[in-house]
Amino acid sequence: MKDSKTLAYINMYAILGTLENLCELDPAASALLTNKKPISIGFEVKGGPSATITFKNGRCRMEQGVDDCTIKIPFGSCEKFNGMFDGTVTPIPTKGLTHINFLLKDFKALTDLLTKYLRATPEDLEDRDFFVRSTTLMLYAISVAIAQIGNNDEIGKFSADHIIDGEIKFSIKNGPATTIRCKDHRLLTIKRAPENPRAIMEFESIELARDLFGGKVNAVACIGEGKITMRGMINMIDNVNRILDRVALYLA
Amino acid sequence: MSFPIYSHEKSRELFNRATKVIPSGVYGHLGPAEGNFIPVEDWPLFGEKAKGAYFWDVDGNRYIDYMCAYGPNILGYCDKDVDAAAIAQSKIGNCTTSPSYLMVELAETMVDTVNSADWAFFAKNGNDVTSLAVMTARNATKRKKIIFVNGFYHGVSPWTQKIDYPGVLPEDVANNLYVNWNDVEGLEKIIAENEGEIAAYIATPYLHGNYFDNQLPADGYWQKVRELCTEKGIILIVDDVRTGFRLDLAGSDHYYGFEADLICFCKAIANGWNVSCLCGKEFLKGAVSALSYTGSYWMSAVPFAAALANIKKMKALDIPKLLREKGVKVCNTLKAAAENNGFNLVISGEPQLFYLRIANDDNMMMHQEWIAECVKRGIFFAGHHNHFLNAALSDDDIRLTGEIADEAFKIVKANHPEAF
Repeated sequence: MKDSKTLAYINMYAILGTLENLCELDPAASALLTNKKPISIGFEVKGGPSATITFKNGRCRMEQGVDDCTIKIPFGSCEKFNGMFDGTVTPIPTKGLTHINFLLKDFKALTDLLTKYLRATPEDLEDRDFFVRSTTLMLYAISVAIAQIGNNDEIGKFSADHIIDGEIKFSIKNGPATTIRCKDHRLLTIKRAPENPRAIMEFESIELARDLFGGKVNAVACIGEGKITMRGMINMIDNVNRILDRVALYLA
Repeated sequence: MSFPIYSHEKSRELFNRATKVIPSGVYGHLGPAEGNFIPVEDWPLFGEKAKGAYFWDVDGNRYIDYMCAYGPNILGYCDKDVDAAAIAQSKIGNCTTSPSYLMVELAETMVDTVNSADWAFFAKNGNDVTSLAVMTARNATKRKKIIFVNGFYHGVSPWTQKIDYPGVLPEDVANNLYVNWNDVEGLEKIIAENEGEIAAYIATPYLHGNYFDNQLPADGYWQKVRELCTEKGIILIVDDVRTGFRLDLAGSDHYYGFEADLICFCKAIANGWNVSCLCGKEFLKGAVSALSYTGSYWMSAVPFAAALANIKKMKALDIPKLLREKGVKVCNTLKAAAENNGFNLVISGEPQLFYLRIANDDNMMMHQEWIAECVKRGIFFAGHHNHFLNAALSDDDIRLTGEIADEAFKIVKANHPEAF
C-alpha cells in the first residue's frame, strides 16, 4: 500500500527538509553549526529526489539538485536511500571525503536531535518548550509529506487530481501555520501561512494538534466539538485530509 | 427589523453526550462535519419536532427547512394523510413473515406512475437500490465495468466511493470508469476503450454535486447517452434518489425526454417513511430476479402504506409543478435580496432543488458566513449542497426567508467593507 519512491521523497523533503526548521527553533541545533565553515551535503537518489542541504551561520537550507555541494552522497535506488533512515544502509560519499567528520559528527547529531523531536518520548514532552518545538516540527514534516504523497503516491495523486487550484491554510491557532498550494493538481508546501487561502483548517491549540498527529483524537469528532475549524472550499480540505490519512502510513 | 439570534445550549449538551457513545457525535450528512456546519456553534445539532415546512431544534428554535431532511420531506413534515395511512397500517401489521399485499399495490402504483417502469423492487435506502441496479446490470450483461460521472454521489457502498476514501480497497473500485458531465466525446472515447466490458452507465438526471454550481443536461445529451447505451448494450441507470418526484412524477428521465433501463428512487417516495425502490424495464426482470438481495425490513407494510398515500397526494397536488413554482419564488426572492445588497448570488440547478453560491469571493467564505447568519435566524440552508422544497412552504415563509436573507446579506457586507 506504500511505495518506496514516495517514501524517498518524504524522507528527503519532509524529514531532512525539516532540519531547516530544527535549526531555527532549537538553539542546540543551531549551536552545532555556528563558528564553522559553510558546508553542504547533496543527496542524489537514482529514480528519486535530489537535494542539497547547506549549513551556514548556524542555519541550514535545502535546495533542489546536487550541482553545488561539498559532500555528495549518491544512492542507487529509492530503497537504498530509505535504508539510510531505517539504519540498514550506510551512506558512502563520492565527493568531499575530507569532510567526513562533519557527516559523522555534526550531521549525525542534528539528525539524532530531529529524531528526538519527531519521535518524542512522553518524558521529553513534559518539557513545555520541547513539546512546542516537537509539535511545530511535526506540523512542518506532515505538511511537506502531504505534498510529496499528493505528487507521488498513486492513491495520493488521485486525491490531488480532485483538488482545485489555490492555497490551503493548515494552522494551529496562535501558532505555526503552513500552506498547501495546489496548481494543476501538483502540491507544494510552504512553511508559512498563505495570504489569501481558499480553504482554512485550524486546530484550536497545539495540544489538540499533537493529539491529532498522534492519532489520539478523531478529526471528525473535533470538528463537531469546534476544536477544529474549517472554512472556505471544504472540498479542498476533504481531499487533503484523504492524503493526510496516508501520511501515517508512510511516517509510522 | 432585526431578527433574534438563536443559541444552541441543549444541542451542545447532547452533542457532548453523543460523542461519548456515538462515533463523531452525529456521523454522515446530518452531522456537523459532513454537513459543513460553519461555524459549528451557529447550527442546531439535534431536533425535537417537525411539522409542515418547519423543524424545531432541542433548544426550541424554529427553522424554515430548506433541506427537508435532505429530500424525504416533500409534502411537509408529518403530513396528516400520509401519517394517517402509516399509523393505521401500523395497527394491523408491519414487519411480518408474509409480506403485506400493499407491496403489490405499491409496485403497481410505481409501474403506473413511472414512465420507464415495468416492475418495482423495494428496499430501504438509496444505496440499496443503486447497488441493486449495478448488480442487475452486471448480471444482465455479464460485464464488469461501470461508468460514473465525475462529481457523482450514488451512496456509501465501497463501489460508490473512491480509491482514496478510508476503508475502500483499490479492488472495490477497480472497475469504475469516470467521465465528465455533458461530455459526449469523452463518453464515446471511454466506451471505445472498453468495448464489450461496460455493464452500465450510472448518473443523476443532472449534475448536483457539492461545492460547484449544479449543471443541467446539455441539449441532446441524454438522448445521445441513450443512443450509445442501446448501441453498445450498456444498461442506462438513472439515480433519481435525490431528484425523484420533484421534477416529474413519471421519473426524471421522462422529464428530460429519454427512458432509463433502471431508475432508482428513495427520499421523497413516502414523505419520510423509509422505503426505496428500483424500477426497471421488462428485459431486466429476469436479471434482477436472479440476484440474492434482501433485507429484514425491506417488505415492511407501514412505509408501503405511507408511499401509497404520498404518491396519491403528490399526483393530486401536481407536486413537480407546485414545487417548481415555489422554487422560482424562493430563488427570485433570494436573488433580489442579494442584488439589493451588492451580492452576486449564483443560483443553479432546477428551482425545486436550487443550489446557492455567493460569487463575490473565490473561496465560499462569504457564502458560508451568509448561510450561518441565515441559519441562526431560523432559515435552514446548506452551504455546500443543493436544497429541497416541500409543498407546505407558504408564501409567508418565502417572504420571511427573503427578510432574513436580506438582514444576513447586510451583516456579511458590513463584515467585509473591502469587498464592496
